[in-house]
Amino acid sequence: MHLGSSRTVASFSYERRDAHKGYTDRFLDMDLSRPSISVKTVPLQIKKIFVGGRGYDLWLLWNAVDAGTQWDDPQNAICIASGPMGGTPAYPGSGKSIVTAISPLTGSVIDSNVGGYFGPYLKFSGFDALRISGKCASDTIVFIDGISRKVDIIEMSGLPDDAYALSSELTDHFCQGKPMDISVVSAGPGAANTRMGCLNFSWYDSARGRVRYKQAGRGGIGTVFADKRIRAVVARWEKVSVKSNNPADLDAVKNVARCHAQEIVALDPKQNEMARIGTTHLVPIMNDFDLLPTKNFQFGSHPAAFLIGREAFEKLFDPGFDGCWKGCTVACAHGVKDFVPFTGAYRGQRVFVDGPEYETIAGCGSNLGIFDPYTILEMNFYCDAYGLDTISVGTALAFVMECFERGLITTDHTGGLDLSFGNRLNALELVHQMASGSGFGAIVGQGVRRMKGIFAKTFGADASLLNDIGMESKGLEFSEYMTKESLAQQGGYGLALKGPQHDEAWLIFLDMVHNFMPTFEQKAEALHWFPMFRTWFGLCGLCKLPWNDIVPEDNKDTPEPAKVMKHVQWYADYYTAVTGNPASPETLITMSERVYNFQRLFNLKMGFGTREHDSLPYRAMGPVTVEEYESRQQRYDDQLTGTHQVDIIGKDTAWKVAVLREKREAQYELLKDAVYKRRGWTSDGIPTVATVKRLGIDFPDVMTLLAAHGVK
Amino acid sequence: MVFIDDKPYAWQADMTLADLLARLPDGDIYAVVKFDGKLISRPFFASTMVPDGARIVPVPMIAGG
Ligand code: SF4
Repeated sequence: MHLGSSRTVASFSYERRDAHKGYTDRFLDMDLSRPSISVKTVPLQIKKIFVGGRGYDLWLLWNAVDAGTQWDDPQNAICIASGPMGGTPAYPGSGKSIVTAISPLTGSVIDSNVGGYFGPYLKFSGFDALRISGKCASDTIVFIDGISRKVDIIEMSGLPDDAYALSSELTDHFCQGKPMDISVVSAGPGAANTRMGCLNFSWYDSARGRVRYKQAGRGGIGTVFADKRIRAVVARWEKVSVKSNNPADLDAVKNVARCHAQEIVALDPKQNEMARIGTTHLVPIMNDFDLLPTKNFQFGSHPAAFLIGREAFEKLFDPGFDGCWKGCTVACAHGVKDFVPFTGAYRGQRVFVDGPEYETIAGCGSNLGIFDPYTILEMNFYCDAYGLDTISVGTALAFVMECFERGLITTDHTGGLDLSFGNRLNALELVHQMASGSGFGAIVGQGVRRMKGIFAKTFGADASLLNDIGMESKGLEFSEYMTKESLAQQGGYGLALKGPQHDEAWLIFLDMVHNFMPTFEQKAEALHWFPMFRTWFGLCGLCKLPWNDIVPEDNKDTPEPAKVMKHVQWYADYYTAVTGNPASPETLITMSERVYNFQRLFNLKMGFGTREHDSLPYRAMGPVTVEEYESRQQRYDDQLTGTHQVDIIGKDTAWKVAVLREKREAQYELLKDAVYKRRGWTSDGIPTVATVKRLGIDFPDVMTLLAAHGVK
Repeated sequence: MVFIDDKPYAWQADMTLADLLARLPDGDIYAVVKFDGKLISRPFFASTMVPDGARIVPVPMIAGG
C-alpha cells in the first residue's frame, strides 16, 4: 500500500435499509462543494413513473440542473443507479450500473451503462441511486461502506494517476482483507485532459487474484468526474445472494433465472460463443457484409480484417469464466493476461488488458487502417488506464487520419506526426498526448465536433467536407457500424437520444440483410419498439446481451424473431417476481416510453431535442467522395437507375454522388417524419401534450417547457 | 450425409452451401452459419463447397456489440 496522506472532510453514519422487492426507496445525495452527505427518500410517484436505474438518474439530474447548466458547473451531477433487479446473482446480466450527467461532448444529458459490482453494492449498502454534485478543492475519494453503514468524503494525496493502478490500490486499501467486497469507480488523466473521459467500474476477479474493470464509456462522464476532482468512488459490501433483493416471489425468480441461465449454457457454444470469444465474432461478419468501419467509415471491409477478428483474439484471450457480475452465464468479459506494452509508462511491464470488445477492435483497428491485434490491445489498455472512451478515441483518430490524408491538416498542425491511416505508432502517440493534454492530442481530445470548428477556423480546412466526414451527431462520436446501406440504422443512430450509439437500436441486419422492414412505417415501428425495449434494461439494472445474443432454438420460427419474445416474456416474469408488480411484454414498453420521452424532454430543456438535432453527417448516409462511390459503383448505379429511376447514361461520378445524396437525404427526412409520428411527437420531434399526459409525465415544469416551445 | 442443427440431410457431390440452404424451407433467412466451427457469411455461401459429413449450425445475427 503506497497511498499518501488522507483527511476525512465529511463523514456520515446511517441506518441501512435492506432492499425490499428490489428497492431500498432511498438515494444518497452528496454535494462536494459544501461538503454535505444526506439520505433521501424516493417518492412513490417517482418510483412508479421512473422504475429505477436510468429513470432514477434522469429524475435526479433533472432536479439538479437548469437549462443553462454547463458540464463543468458545480450543479452538474453524476448520478449512478442500479435497478430493481440489479444485484440478482442468479439471473444472467443482472449487475449493471447506469450513469448519467450533462455531457462535455454534447452539452445535454448522457447515459452510459456498465458492468462491475458497483451498482449492486451501492443498492445493498442501502441506496437505489447516488447523486454527486459540487466540486472538491483537491483529490478526493468517496467511500460508501455498506457494512459499517458509513459514508466518508476523504481528501487523499499520493494516489496513482491511472485507473489501472488506482483501482487496484484502493481495493487493497479499503478491503480489510476481503477484496471481493470492494468495487471502485475511477477515471484517469485522460478524463481530466479531454472531453471523452470514461469511468472504470471494478470488480475483484478472485480466480485471477486481480482487479478487473468495465467502462461507462460514452459521452465524457469521466471528464465530469475528473473536473469535480473525484479520484474514485468506492463501495464496500459483502455477500450477495438471490435473496439480497428480498424479491416478492423468491421461487419464481429462481425458476425464471434457471431457465435463462441454463438456456445460455446450452446454446451459446452452438451460437456466438460469447463465453469463449466475447463479441470478436462480429469482426469477420461485419467485414463480410461490408459493415466494418474502415478508414473513417469510408469503406465497410478490408482484406486484412481477418487479422483482428475472432481467430486472433481466441488465441490471445486468457481462458476463464468471465462475467462482469456474479453468475452471468454469458460470461463475455474477456481479457488478455501478461500483455507487454511497447509504449508509455507501462512499456516493458506485464499487464492485464480487460477486452477488447468488438467496438474497440473496429474503432482502434480497422477504422484507423490498423490490422494488428497487439496495437489494438495497447490502445485498449491505455484508454482504460487513462480513462478514455475507446469508441470516441477511435472515431476521433479516424477523422484526423482522413483529414491528414486529404491534406485538410498537415504535419504543421499535428506537431510533426504523420497521421496516415495505418500509422500505429503515431496513433498510440496521439493517445498518450490526449491523456496528458499535450501537443496535437490536446485538440483531438476535444472530440470531432470541436475539431471540425478548429480545423476550419484556425487551419483553414474546407468546412463542408469536414462536416460530411466528421462522424459525430449531437456532438457524440459514432460507434462502430456502417450505416450507409441501412436507412433504419441511420435512424437508429440519428434519432438516438444521446447521440449515435447502437444501444438504442441495432437494425442493420434486419433492414439491410433480411429486408424485414421495407416501408417507412415498418422502419418507424422498429425505431419505436427496439429503443423502448432496450431502454427497459437500463431501468432495471440489467445487461441486454442475454436477451438477444443467445436465442432459443425455435426463435426463427416465431412470428417476430428479432424481438425474441420468449425472452421478453421471461423478463416480464422476472420483473414481476422481484417487484411484485404484474408485468407483461406490453407494460415493459410503456415503462420505457415514460423514461424515453422524459429524456427527450430533458434534451429540450437543455436547448436540444428537436428535429435539427437529429441530423447526421452525410458519410453516415452515403458516399461523400468519388472514390467511395466508385469503390461500390455497381451498388450505387443500380440504386440510382432502379430505386430512383434516374437516367445516369453519360453522367460522371461527381454528378451521381450529388444526385444520390439528394435522394438519400430526402429519405432520411421522411424517416424522421414517420418515427416522430409513431412516437407521438410533433413534426419538430417534440413529445406532444397528449403523449406526455398519456405517459403520466405531465409534471408542471414539463408542461411549462412544452408551452415555451409552442407545443399543445 | 450433412447435418444442419444436428438434423441429417442428403449430401451431393459439388454441392455448395447456397445449394444446401436452398433446399430448406427457411434457408433464405440465414445470414451467417457455422461450418465445421468456422463462420461463413451469406456473401460466401455460393463459393463454399460442402464436403460429406459437414456440420452446419445457423448463427442468429440479430444483435450488435
Ligand atoms: S453478458 Fe457480458 S457484459 Fe453482460 S453482464 Fe454478462 S458478462 Fe457482463
